[in-house]
Amino acid sequence: MYTKSKYVERMSCLQNEEFYHVFEVFSKRNHKSDFQHQFSLLAPNHEMALVMAQENFMRREPVVDIWVVKRSDITKLKPEDKKALERLDNKEYRLTKGYGYLKKKWRKYEQQVLDEKEIMSWGGDQRGPNRNAAGSDSK
Amino acid sequence: MDQIATPQEAIQNKQYKMALIELLYQLADDDFILAFRGSEWLGLAPHIEEDIAYASINQATMGHAVMYYELLESLGEGSADELAHERKASERKNAILLELMNGTGSYLENPSYDWAFTVVRHYFYDIYKKLKLESLKQSSYLPLAQAATKIKMEQYYHVMHWKVWFNQLVLSGGEAKTRMQAAIQKVWDEFADVLSYGTYAADFSKYQLIEEENLFKQKWEVEMQQVFQKAGIDYPGPPSARKGNGRTGMHTEDLNQALSILSEVYSLDPQATW
Repeated sequence: MYTKSKYVERMSCLQNEEFYHVFEVFSKRNHKSDFQHQFSLLAPNHEMALVMAQENFMRREPVVDIWVVKRSDITKLKPEDKKALERLDNKEYRLTKGYGYLKKKWRKYEQQVLDEKEIMSWGGDQRGPNRNAAGSDSK
Repeated sequence: MDQIATPQEAIQNKQYKMALIELLYQLADDDFILAFRGSEWLGLAPHIEEDIAYASINQATMGHAVMYYELLESLGEGSADELAHERKASERKNAILLELMNGTGSYLENPSYDWAFTVVRHYFYDIYKKLKLESLKQSSYLPLAQAATKIKMEQYYHVMHWKVWFNQLVLSGGEAKTRMQAAIQKVWDEFADVLSYGTYAADFSKYQLIEEENLFKQKWEVEMQQVFQKAGIDYPGPPSARKGNGRTGMHTEDLNQALSILSEVYSLDPQATW
């Protein structure tokens, strides 16, 4: 009988000879979505990895595209370099939640009655002051 | 001739029905027995990813057989389950090549299966099947043309899968190449049987169920010559059918072995509902 241990033995022997490589598999669910990392698999080369990827990971859900990337081609941060990711917690201005007040402002303008004076003021003097610059209260 | 849209229409013409049923048995039995042989690799394929991919392919191929058996069912041939499990070897119309065992030993004891033979058998069969489906898409029997259109969707991946294995092993040199060449010889010795339309060949084309046998063979040969050329191997000329013609119900002991195993559970209680 072809035992499991014999199988594992043969596999590790092949790996020692650097026959198999680890490939990372990415797929796209539909044309609008981004590629997402799925899993990794062992294969001797890119072509084989692509063929294996389809039936190993796309069996149950349809996908529109597949990528395979050799793991050794991926450059990773070294553990000590992960210090580069640290930062102070004082950059709230970079988060879109800082613009939450805009909704309220829109509502205010939408509710304003459009009178003749208001409408006339839109066209008007084209060389006038830059309306965007004037009185801006952006953060 | 006009297209036949329903089974009710098909059975009006006795000769048409006979030819149609014969063709459907060939298609169903081919996919069925090869999917069974493929399923015997479960847990034994060269590596774990291939094990899963191959198992998936076998499920898909078995699904194709089911579609053909259901077409037979609608023509009054009996239920798909019965057709798959209960028919004797002499009633089966599959090509002999597809029933041959994967190698020596059995699934449970010393399975010393031949991966080279498996790759070559599947690759050559799947190329043939792709061409056959293309022709069946024009079939005068509409339900068959529709089934072929659906099956063809999955066939692209099947061909691609075996093409990768075939080319990588054949072009690798060394032991792989030697074993692949032996496997090619073994498959070529029987492939004429796969190509054979059997005793109803004339009616198949008379009723436009599928394109004419010799035309089909020519088309197939052109495709295979390219396969050999890309693999850097001389084209071996026309294939043979040394073990006989499965389309006429001739089979080897290997088919009996397969049938006794695949119908073992079914035969315990044929009335059971699944």
